[in-house]
Amino acid sequence: MNHLHSQAAEDAAGQAHNGSKRRSRCIALNINGELHEITVQPRKMLIEVIRETVGLTGTKGSCLSGTCGACTVLLSGRPVLSCITLAVECEGKEIRTVEDLAQGGKLNALQEAFLDQGAVQCGFCTPGMLMSATALLERHEKPSLAQIKKGLEGNLCRCTGYNAIVDAVLQVSDQGVLPVMK
Amino acid sequence: MILYDFDYERPGTLQEAMSLLRNSGVDARLLAGGTDLLPNMRVQNLKPALLISLGAIAPMPPQAGEDGSIRIDALSRLADLENSDFIRREIPLLAESAHAVGGNQIRQSATLGGNLCQETRCLHLNQEHDYQFAAPCYKRGGDCCYPYPGNKPGSCWSVYMSDTAPALIALGAEVEILGEEGTRSVPAERLFSGNALTPLLIARSEMIRSLIVPAAPAGFGWGYHKSTLRGGLEFAMANMAVTLRLEDDGETCAAARIVVGAVSEGPLRASSAERKLVGKALTAELLSEAADDASDEINPLPHHGFTRNYLRENIRVYLRRTLTAALERASGGII
Repeated sequence: MNHLHSQAAEDAAGQAHNGSKRRSRCIALNINGELHEITVQPRKMLIEVIRETVGLTGTKGSCLSGTCGACTVLLSGRPVLSCITLAVECEGKEIRTVEDLAQGGKLNALQEAFLDQGAVQCGFCTPGMLMSATALLERHEKPSLAQIKKGLEGNLCRCTGYNAIVDAVLQVSDQGVLPVMK
Repeated sequence: MILYDFDYERPGTLQEAMSLLRNSGVDARLLAGGTDLLPNMRVQNLKPALLISLGAIAPMPPQAGEDGSIRIDALSRLADLENSDFIRREIPLLAESAHAVGGNQIRQSATLGGNLCQETRCLHLNQEHDYQFAAPCYKRGGDCCYPYPGNKPGSCWSVYMSDTAPALIALGAEVEILGEEGTRSVPAERLFSGNALTPLLIARSEMIRSLIVPAAPAGFGWGYHKSTLRGGLEFAMANMAVTLRLEDDGETCAAARIVVGAVSEGPLRASSAERKLVGKALTAELLSEAADDASDEINPLPHHGFTRNYLRENIRVYLRRTLTAALERASGGII
């Protein structure tokens, strides 16, 4: 038993000196206010750490090449694409994902507005849309139509035709758009 | 995930970063925003063994010099430039071109220096490695060209698509490059080799440190246009930047710069069209003729499914409108 144990330890030590294990780094990521200490290879993207290591699967990966916006998270308040951001780059920054929006099991006003306007169809772009809209609303309390369109420019949606999403942002910023769904 | 292992360093100062870049002994790359480098590493167009992150180095805010020129840190994020009141007021052409890049999330990460240092693109190169043909093309170190099979051996016809480069050339910006022997400075238009295999005339041990944009003279006007399919989150079909300077009479053209990008291995100046304008009173007809000349002169490279004829027409029409906007701004019509 002892022999087996030491063999395993030796193997681990051997691995630590060659191949990918050597390159792994121990980092602490602040995700939604919780600190996660993880060991990660430099080649891992933020989205993989969020979904696979931390287990927050609300963030969706779609194109994985920075062309669709589904994986948008907030990094120190900026909307960024977690599929083309290295996890090791995010140490010391505040990361917020879609799970941060609902508090105590209750959807926030923006999420409710998305439901009220039918701004969710297949739902795959929704987490990214919500995070981009959150960043927009933190910059502009009452964004204009042009600002909303520009703010959501980096998020592609194949279902809704965008109008319902734009309406949801107008509704939540109290600009005279009423809920269409009961 | 990137499909191979590489090393990663995050130095605290620029000096450390440059010393790592020179002395690492491996194929090292600087990582700024990563919005071009990382997708290229994912499809294995680029395979650096070491990434040197510049993330711990904060960019300096734009500074006005004594002669009125403005120094912009190359590590400035594009979103910060387009949203900066100072840049919007002093160099609106740069703000507009930064605003044209990618989508909002891209601009929040991407830096101005990184935008200039982006890789060239073609329909073959942009693909995932899995979808590529077995043999690499010239750009990837192989010995063929898939989009242009008859291409001269060793030549690559991929397209350099930076949206900010034409604006910086039209503004007459200087590029400060940090290298082994201190800093050297070159005009923005001399940054480009015209060879898609190595589109930039910057050594791998060098880094773009800052951009210096001269003060706008009296009677200055600018125009910018990016032709796209859907108007956001995409690379350009063609982009164009124009600057004009009028004499004190408010009519005669004293200087003109017309730059067209995203249709060649580097941004191109339409010199004969510029010469046509200088010294003449600018009228709608003259601008239209200049746009025709420029469209003939540029000879766009067909790319991403757009034919040469289509791109010529696109440049002709939008350059006319861009020139018109520049003239209106120069004569005080629009601000």
